[in-house]
This record gives sequence, C-alpha cells and structure tokens, in this order.
Amino acid sequence: MKKLLLTALLSTLSAASAATLVFGGNGEPVSLESGNITDGISILVQRQIYDTLVDFKPGSTDLAPGLATSWKANANNTAWTFTLRKGVRFHDGTPMNADAIVFNLGRWWDKSHPYGFRDQGRTFEIMGELLGGYKGDATAVIKNIVKVNDTTVRIDLNKPSSVLPNVLAAGYFGIASPAAIKKEGAKYGTPASKPVGTGPFIFQSWRTGDRVTLLPNKLYWGDKAKVDQLVIRNIKDASQRLNELKAGTIDFANDLTPDSLKSVQGDKNLVAVKRPSFNVGFVSMNNRNQYLKNEKVRQAIAMAINKKAIVDAFWNGLGVSNASFVPPVMNWANSPKVPADYKFDPAAAKKMLADAGYPNGFSIDLWYMPVSRPYFPTPKPIAEAIAADLSAIGVKVNLKTEDWAKYLEDRNKEPGFDMYMIGWTGDYGDPDNFYGAYYGANASDDINWNPANVETLLQQGRAAATQDAKAKVYAQLHEITYNAAYRIPMVHSNPLAAARSYVKGWVPSPLGSEPFNTITVTGKK
Amino acid sequence: MGSYLIRRLLRTVLVMLGISLVVFVFVRSIPGDPAIAMLGERATPEAAAALREQLGLNKPWFFNPANPLDAQYPKYMSALLQGDLGTGIKSNIPVRDDLKTRFPATAELSIAALLFALVIGMPAGILAALRRNSVWDNLATTISLIGVSMPVFWLGLLLSYFFGVKLGWLPPSGPLGTEFTIRPITGFNVLDALLRGQMDAAWDAARHLVLPAIALGTIPLAIIARITRSSMLDVLGQDYVRTARAKGLSGRSVVLKHTLRNALLPVVTVIGLQAGALLGGAVLTETIFSWPGIGSWVYDAISQRDYPIIQGGVIFAALVVSVANLIVDLSYAALDPRIQYS
Repeated sequence: MKKLLLTALLSTLSAASAATLVFGGNGEPVSLESGNITDGISILVQRQIYDTLVDFKPGSTDLAPGLATSWKANANNTAWTFTLRKGVRFHDGTPMNADAIVFNLGRWWDKSHPYGFRDQGRTFEIMGELLGGYKGDATAVIKNIVKVNDTTVRIDLNKPSSVLPNVLAAGYFGIASPAAIKKEGAKYGTPASKPVGTGPFIFQSWRTGDRVTLLPNKLYWGDKAKVDQLVIRNIKDASQRLNELKAGTIDFANDLTPDSLKSVQGDKNLVAVKRPSFNVGFVSMNNRNQYLKNEKVRQAIAMAINKKAIVDAFWNGLGVSNASFVPPVMNWANSPKVPADYKFDPAAAKKMLADAGYPNGFSIDLWYMPVSRPYFPTPKPIAEAIAADLSAIGVKVNLKTEDWAKYLEDRNKEPGFDMYMIGWTGDYGDPDNFYGAYYGANASDDINWNPANVETLLQQGRAAATQDAKAKVYAQLHEITYNAAYRIPMVHSNPLAAARSYVKGWVPSPLGSEPFNTITVTGKK
Repeated sequence: MGSYLIRRLLRTVLVMLGISLVVFVFVRSIPGDPAIAMLGERATPEAAAALREQLGLNKPWFFNPANPLDAQYPKYMSALLQGDLGTGIKSNIPVRDDLKTRFPATAELSIAALLFALVIGMPAGILAALRRNSVWDNLATTISLIGVSMPVFWLGLLLSYFFGVKLGWLPPSGPLGTEFTIRPITGFNVLDALLRGQMDAAWDAARHLVLPAIALGTIPLAIIARITRSSMLDVLGQDYVRTARAKGLSGRSVVLKHTLRNALLPVVTVIGLQAGALLGGAVLTETIFSWPGIGSWVYDAISQRDYPIIQGGVIFAALVVSVANLIVDLSYAALDPRIQYS
C-alpha cells in the first residue's frame, strides 16, 4: 500500500513538472511532407520537425545558417555552393549529408525522381513557382544539383540568381530523412506516417482534425527545446482561439482578429504579440478599363483614398500605411525619391480627374474578397470606406464580391475586375518575393500592364550580386510602379498573436512561423 | 417484411447512385477549381492550368472520345464500386481513411446531441401537453421557439464563452484535453477511454462533449418538444383515451400505456429526419468547437474545392440518412401493430 501511494505521488509529481506547450493553430495541417504544401499551419508544424538548408535570424528576414553553415555563389551568380553542418542526424538516426540534401532537392525539382511519387498526386508546385519550373524546363532556374563531397552540395543555375539561398530558406523546404521517405513511400506526410527531419522537435502523433503532438529532440544541434511536449491544436475559429487563450487551455496562438486586441490587452493573463509585418494589402487597377487606363485617373484615385484613416479605423494599430509594395522590414529596397506615403488630397484629386476629362466622375466596380486575410482582416467595411472616399471626387463605386476560389479565378480571366482588393504575404526575405509575384512575366495578368523595363529590372534584381546593387534596382522599380499607380499599397499589417503571460522566449518571425524551441513555460499551472 | 426490406435496400442503392452523379456534377459546376484554391493568391492562369493537368482535372467529365474510359466520372465510379472513394487532392490522404477517423467523432457528437434533445425535449413536450395553457406550457413553447430560431454558430460561441471562459466550468472547445491520449478502438473518445480503463480521460472527453452537444441538440430539442406536445394533445383527445379514463384507469397509466406509445410515432419520424439535420448542423457546430468530425472536414474541403472529399463526404452522409430513415420506417411497425410492411 505504501509503495502504491509512493508511486502515485511520484507520478503526480512528474505530471506536474511535465511542461506541455500548447499552440492554437488556425486549422488542420494538410500534410507534413515538406516541399509539397504551402498553407500556414502545415508549414508551422513542419518548421518544428524539419530544418531548412538556410535559415532566417529569429524575428527577421536576414539569412542565418541552417543545415548549411555557409554558402557562396560564383562570380556571376550561376552556381551556389553550400557547406553542410557536420554530425547532424535525422530523428531516425540516419546522417544528414550531401546525399540527403541532393535527395530532397531532387524529388522537388526532378519530375522523374523515383521518390517524387508524382504518379500518386504529388505536385511540389511551390518549387516550380519560386524557381521558374522543374528539371529540363526552359524557364527553370536550377540546372543541376551536384554532390561535391559528403558535406558540400553545389547547385548550378540556368540563369543568374542571387535569391536562391533565400528561396531555400523558406519554410516550405524542410529537409527530410531520405530513409524515412523510402520507408513510408507515398503515404509520407499523411497522418498515418511518421515525418522525420533534423529539427528541434520529433513527430509523435497526429490525430486528424484535432492535434499534432511533438516531443523534444534531445540531440538537436541548435537550441534544444525547453518543454517536454509540444501540442499544436486545430482551432479554426479565431474567436474560439481567443476563448481558449482566456480559458488557459492553450498557451499561445496566431491570427487573432484585430478587433480582439482590446480584449487581449484587458486580460491580465494574456500578452498581445504583434508579429512583424511581412505582407501587403493593395488595390489593383485594370488597364483594360476605359477610365483606369488613364494614368491621371489612377493617380487621382490614389490621392482620394484616405489610407491612413482607413488603416487607423480597421486595423486597430496593427498596421501601417506607406507608399511601398514591400513591407517595412525591407525598407532598404525603397527609393528615397518616392514619398513616404501617398498624399491625401480630395480637392487636388478632383481637379486631376477633371484634367483627365472626367469633371463629373464616372462609375466603376470595386471587388472585395469574401474572406478575411492577414492583410485585409475585414474586407467589406474597408471596401465601403474606399468607396466613400472615391464618391467624394465623383467616382461612383459599385461594390462587388464573390466566393474566394471564384474571385481568384475571375481576376485573371479577361476582362478581369476594374478595381479589386488583393494582397500577399511573403515567404522569403527578398523584394523579388513581392515585386516578382505581382509585376513582370511570372505575375498574374490582372492589370494588363507589363512593360519591358519592369521585366528587365526584375531580372536584374534576381541577378544582382550584392545588396547595394539590389537596392539600386528595386529603388527604380519602386519609382516606376509608384508613378504608374496600377497597384496602390494600402497597408502592411501586423498579424495579431497572443500568449499567456508565462510564455517566454517566443520570437515571432515576419514570415508567419518559427521554431518553438526557444519558448519556456515556467510557472504554467 | 422480407421483400419490403429488399425493395427498400434496392431503392437505397439507386438513391446513392443518383446522389453520386448529382454531387459529381454539382461540385464541378461550382466556379473555382481545386488548382486555383490550392495556389491561392499565387495563382497565375499558367500555374493553375499546369496544376489542373497534373491533377487530371482537365479530362472530360463523362466521355472521352479518344479513350472512353479516360474520363473523370467512369473512373470515379469504377473506383467507388470497389469501395475506393478516391484521395484528397491537397492532402494525398485516401478519403476512406479520413472518413474512418472523422465519422466516429461526428457520430459521438450527434448521439450526445440527440440524447440531450430527447431527454429534455420529450418530457418538456409531455408536460406542456398535460398542463396545457399553464405556465409550464407557455414556458416550453417559448423556449422551443427561441431554440429553433437561434443560429447554431451564435449559440455555440455564446455557450463556449459563458461556460468555457467566464465560468470556466467546461472546456471551451476541442474533443479532449491535451494532457490525455486515448488509443482509438471504436473512435468514440468516451467509450474508448472507458474500454482502456482511463477513467480520468473518459470524464474529460465527456466534459468536452457537453457544450457542442447542447449547441447541436438545441434545434432538435425544440422540434421534438413541439412535436411531442402536439402529438400528445392529439392522442389525448382520442376516443380510446377518454374510454380509458372513463374505465377509471389512473392518470399515470393512461399517459404511459395508452397515450405516450401512440404519441411517439410522429416523434420517431422527426428523430429520423433530424439525422439529416444533425449532419447539417454539425458543419457549423464542429467548426466552432474544433470538433474533428465530418462536418468541419467537408466544410474545409468545399472552400478548397477538394472534389474527392466533398463527393465522399456527401455520399457517406446520404448513406447515413438513408439508413436512419430505413430504421425509422422499420421501428414504426414495432411501435404500431396496425402498420405492416409486405
């Protein structure tokens, strides 16, 4: 009996000291196979399990060593050599080496890779999107992936690229154990499999629709996790995430709505956390529209929208407005010749519209998205505010919306939308990630404006060898796109996160997710 | 009875085939396809076209002149007849595997909701009928009216905030506390925990069930209470009840033996119909309460245009409703000897 009591006591003690860190995720991971999926929560879980070849410094978009300790391009940026960290092992005990890197990159890039499982529905579309295509494609950036020796990998390119390490640092490209992929086959990454990386946490279990449980990697090469267990719960509803935070059933969470800031600040057990902004919400204007093809009209519209007032009203201090397409963390890419923000001057805008030949204004469609996005948390009232500002200069705005999947499709179908709201959250720390996504040859055809000089500058930006050279190129792009006024940046928002007050050491990354190995929960009850 | 059953089963198969065709056409007729949904803001027309081709969505729906079998519907149906519901486009998980883990969660929640609705709704209806026009009657009628008109998502959030956050009596959402792990046997958390002898986990799972079951069960409760009331009133006015009373039987005996049994028939019908409504209500309830069931799963799939999941989920839900209706029809005979199937 005594022994039984003692055992019971000990088990209670160990239960009490077992620190479980619980994250409220905004949904269910789609897959834990790296390279094949881009949704936020899948990447967030993957970042705990996998390391990337190159990493980002905590809280920033500057590069830092990851599984590669160093990387270097040749003189004209057409070949990159990565030197790998020695002595790192995957969670299954197999070594992380050049073979493993070549295997991972190969299955994303080579459509005939024996372990790419493309016949079973794998697409790895993000590799093609960010690096121009796959092995053998005329547009592909990567020409070849070569193992130089056990700790050195070289990537040969078809065209110069200075952003390759940045792209490979994106959370999509976690390096997985080749042995595990071979063993699990095409079910790798599904809840029925065991994803294996080198990261700070080891996969334990995935209960679909409910949670993923991870355990600390005691042999991690970097900062070892400071909790005994990490649970990532699926809580799709934002107000429910706030409820759970308040109830203390989760420790921290992302993607709260801006209007919950007051509620978080009013709760002494909670701390509001502003994630650094790495997005842009903007209004696009279509060159096919008879009014909008006139530059003066576009500039008048830009001048008539009271951006600052709108951001103050709808983002609750969780956003800034400026005249740049790239978020403030990449201010170095902006031109000093462009003003800090668009001038708000309805009278001047009205006059400009009259000069353009429309003293009585005209009527136009403005489309707003039907869903809340990090850059536009409440699209409809924001659209109404824009419409109200434009009506002041005589532009009558018809507000329109439709289902999100159809919205994304229709904006690219001729004739597209007149004006529409859209936005973008970056995935790697380079201006190309923003300008390249919405201007130039690889962008959507929603504004019917793709001048040769913009495309040339984009190419130069990708090839630029130093940050100074890059800054010069993007300053020019900034000037051209600002003056053309086809896309009016409205906001760079700070997605709102929150934590219980005992959660310490969380450094939110602008890129949306970060490894949780730095977090402690001392004092959690 | 036997031939009736066979005819009913055959009809169910036909209905299922019809539904598979309808849902196949419907999901593909909704604008916006899986490729665009997967690519999101990144979607350029070229990227979407390439992805569509890779996913086989560029193939004709019903008939490919070049290769008659290489069309989407024939392929889907031939796989379906072999019990293969396809694979989720985005997740690469076989739909059948997801159903296996998702369905028990929905079933557990629906059963709890139905129990809640019956245990409160039926006595309330009976009481209201017996004490017609009393305070009780008015109270029950008013409450059931509120119950029917309350949007499920709003009620869900309200319950979660009040009992989960303000009072802290019950967990705000989710199926189980993070400190517990239950290895599945049936997929029903409470049952599995009991079978594994994890009493504290079973208690925790039961507590997690309460709020979503109330949210999901409120509308059925209101409907059951109203139907029970009017059905009871109907039967109470029948000659045989008056005769029974005239014979000098006790009020209790009249209510239990003569009235209730007959008054139950429409209630059973409603319960059967509610099986469908419960699955529908589960979409919102599961989304709000982070419940890992079919509702939240299909809801996500619709916004992603994940055709195989939508098709599989709808076909499966239709099967559940068909079976529920069959059971209702059969239970008629058990309740009322006058009804015979031949």
